Amino acid sequence: MSEIEVAAQVIGGKVANIRLREKTGRKIELGDLLIVEEDDGSGLLLQVYDLEFGSQIPQSMRELAAGYTLEGYGSNLDFLDPKLRNYIVAVVRGIARINGSKVTIPKILPRFFSTVRDIREEDLKFLTKPEHPIYLGKVRSGSKVLDVDVFLNGVDMFTHHVLIPATTGRGKSNLVKVMLWSAVGKKFGILVLDAHNEYYGIGNDLGLKDHPDAKDNIVYYSTNPPPGANTLVTNLKSVKPWHFEGIIRFTDAQREAIQLYYDRFKERWLEQLVQETPSDSDEISAKTIAVIQRRLKTNLGLYFEEDRGLICKNKAFNDKAGEATISNIIQSLESGKIVIVDTSQLSDKAELLIGSIIGHGVFFRYQEYKGVGELDNKPVVSIIIEEAPRVLSMETLENTGENIYDIIAREGRKFKVGLVAITQLTSVIPTTVLSNLNTKIILGNEMSSERKAIISSSPQDLSNDNRTIASLDKGEAIVSSIFTNFAVPVQIPLFEEFVKSYNINSKKTGDTFFTG
Amino acid sequence: MKFAHIADVHIGAYYDETLAELSSKAFEYTIGKCVEEKVDFIIVSGDLFHVSIPDLGAVDKAVKQMRRAKDAGIPIYVVYGSHDYSPSGKSIIDILDSSGLVTKIVKGRIEDNKLRLEFITDEKTNAKITGISARKKGLESKYYEILDRDALEREEEFKIFSFHSGIEEFKPRELTPVECIPISYLPKGFDYYAGGHIHDRSENTLPGYKNVIFPGPIFSGYPRDLEKNAKGAERGFYIVTYNDNTIKHKFIPIKVCESTYYEYDATGKNSNQVKNEFQKNIGEIDANKKIVLLKVKGKLAGGRTSEIDFSEMKNLLYSNGAIYVNVNRYGFTSSEYTDVKVSGEDVNLIESKLFRENIGSVKLEQDKLLGKKGISLAQNLLKTTRLNPKINESKKNYDARQVDDGITTLELKEVM
Repeated sequence: MSEIEVAAQVIGGKVANIRLREKTGRKIELGDLLIVEEDDGSGLLLQVYDLEFGSQIPQSMRELAAGYTLEGYGSNLDFLDPKLRNYIVAVVRGIARINGSKVTIPKILPRFFSTVRDIREEDLKFLTKPEHPIYLGKVRSGSKVLDVDVFLNGVDMFTHHVLIPATTGRGKSNLVKVMLWSAVGKKFGILVLDAHNEYYGIGNDLGLKDHPDAKDNIVYYSTNPPPGANTLVTNLKSVKPWHFEGIIRFTDAQREAIQLYYDRFKERWLEQLVQETPSDSDEISAKTIAVIQRRLKTNLGLYFEEDRGLICKNKAFNDKAGEATISNIIQSLESGKIVIVDTSQLSDKAELLIGSIIGHGVFFRYQEYKGVGELDNKPVVSIIIEEAPRVLSMETLENTGENIYDIIAREGRKFKVGLVAITQLTSVIPTTVLSNLNTKIILGNEMSSERKAIISSSPQDLSNDNRTIASLDKGEAIVSSIFTNFAVPVQIPLFEEFVKSYNINSKKTGDTFFTG
Repeated sequence: MKFAHIADVHIGAYYDETLAELSSKAFEYTIGKCVEEKVDFIIVSGDLFHVSIPDLGAVDKAVKQMRRAKDAGIPIYVVYGSHDYSPSGKSIIDILDSSGLVTKIVKGRIEDNKLRLEFITDEKTNAKITGISARKKGLESKYYEILDRDALEREEEFKIFSFHSGIEEFKPRELTPVECIPISYLPKGFDYYAGGHIHDRSENTLPGYKNVIFPGPIFSGYPRDLEKNAKGAERGFYIVTYNDNTIKHKFIPIKVCESTYYEYDATGKNSNQVKNEFQKNIGEIDANKKIVLLKVKGKLAGGRTSEIDFSEMKNLLYSNGAIYVNVNRYGFTSSEYTDVKVSGEDVNLIESKLFRENIGSVKLEQDKLLGKKGISLAQNLLKTTRLNPKINESKKNYDARQVDDGITTLELKEVM
């Protein structure tokens, strides 16, 4: 290490709390990655999690000196050898021991008084591009971005579920867009329930539609589709009683009534139920039927009027069209395509119900594939859901019971079905669910209770990273995963900048000859 | 204004004399009804013929009916279907268009990578008609991709869009694997969308798209249609009236004969049991003057499928008055041996499955040879080899035509 590279020196501390004296002018930042070179050629990777002042001058003297300056008694007053006597102490912890391509968890302290330098790109050459790569960004040291790409193996990452916790405006959507862009054409079946219609790219907005391979790999559904896209219209026959589990709460009596209708009318049960004139003559009480009808009307906009017939006010449901919509979506996912479902025009419950119908379809089909030994030939399927507490919070699970999202979080891994849960409120998701989300891509978060929940459920020990998480700027993230050796600080590129590196105007069109 | 909407007639689909006769009879009835109802014009949304160069006997009968319509002052407007389209541009539709018996609807040009369609105007009613023909399997979607929809949507007169493609949003669930186009490809705001290609009748509506109608075939284009007929599917066409800004469409059912369907599950039985039971059961079928469709499915527990003489059973039904008998055995296998690797109910489906099974076993690098595209290309190429020689066509010309069609299918002209 050359003299010029030295950034600090180890001056004390203990494991996970190593103290360094900063070399004057080096401006070490929270989150900076530093290296201690060991005699055996290995390096200890350190990360800064706190900064404080250090001084050789007693506190009373410092206060007095400040008084002199502030009160005008000595504007030119300075300490003797100020660079020696006053300095910054960086509190760091060892996050990895690097020996060539071998990376282990550090179990020893660095040599006392050893010098510390900034990380170099070549120190991270162990971060290679994995199989089935999903791009997350570049390694970040504090706020400095290194030219080292960070990928995770998508098969591992998606099957073991992902949590993306962040408050508004920290770049969640941008991150997901970057991830999805890198997943296009890589044979991942990804269902995106897009509550804000921001991923596909409408009109001139850049989005996944602009990927050069979008035509064969991205399918877009919307209640108001642009030319060439599919209409989000689900036939009522596709809706089964179990799709409501955990989405709309029904009492035991109501559930029994629903089941009875399903047994009687099979796939036409919902149409029949909505059109039924409540009457006590049947074995189901009129009141029960009326309540179910009211709930279907409130939650899904589904009701019956004598003169107008069956009405599906919610455009995503239809009693005639859309018979093949769900099976088409499932087929696309099974073919390794990204399916973006624009749910921005739907009610909360309608969005979750559509996700539930597709989720059930994929999950149970993949269970069958496993049963007949065909699962290995199928691509991983992942469901991206925003505002995940709507289906994964403790309160929801207690009030409405388990739902398909919760089932996937707990059991999906065995069947190659994963979940990407995006949330502002990690704290309301039960630990049993959080512990199953094995990759956390942590963006900035001001709320200490949320940071606590994130930290306590992270695959790596982030107990010292509370301040670091609070100070993450837009686009900065920490990737904590069972598939990384340490929690990797990442700078996520701005989607619009990122896609410039692709030739987005090079869509395969080919000449078309017109014959009438 | 009153017009008829017909699709998927599939003239020439059957070599069997009875079925061919019934097919002609259905077309004759259709034209007769149109004349009787005094429709102003007829729209045929593709697959008027089963192949681009059909059997001339069938053509002769059809032409007589078209002549009848023409003589009654009823023009027939046609788009190509996936069956009667020819990549070389030599289809019976073109001949009929040249002769003035039918009028091809689709006119337009590609400018600045935009497909600018023109309307044709029915002289009597002033109805504006346009549309997009089918090409080889699903390739018409390229036209929809570049279609200038705005110009079509601006037309304010009564307008009809005729097409021969399945619509994703309206296709039945069992057709999930069938490639269709999303409705968003069609221009919005037409008064009537005359669809073809899907062999199930449906009347559909979605925001921006009223009256998207598929009549289905008037009789049958495939054995699968016959089976559906026997199970109760109504066949026919639509007569549409437009008065005082109100459209009404009325389905005109056509039943050229009675048919019956019998399905037998052989699972767990041996060949002797199946033979005895099956023979006994079909003996009880009222087959008189009917098409009888039999389906045997399941896996034999013992014996071979070849030990059951189905021709004997067919003869029994014929002796009981059946006019046509077909036994569908694609789902019938034996645990002792299996010689059928794929099953399906029409040639296209079986070929598609066979290609799908085998495409993975060869190393291919070109994108258009892979996956669905590869399967589609292979099927289209196979189709070109099936073209019958034209009457008086020399072998040399026939061979050259086949090579030409093959080259066109493979889109190799530019390379050469």
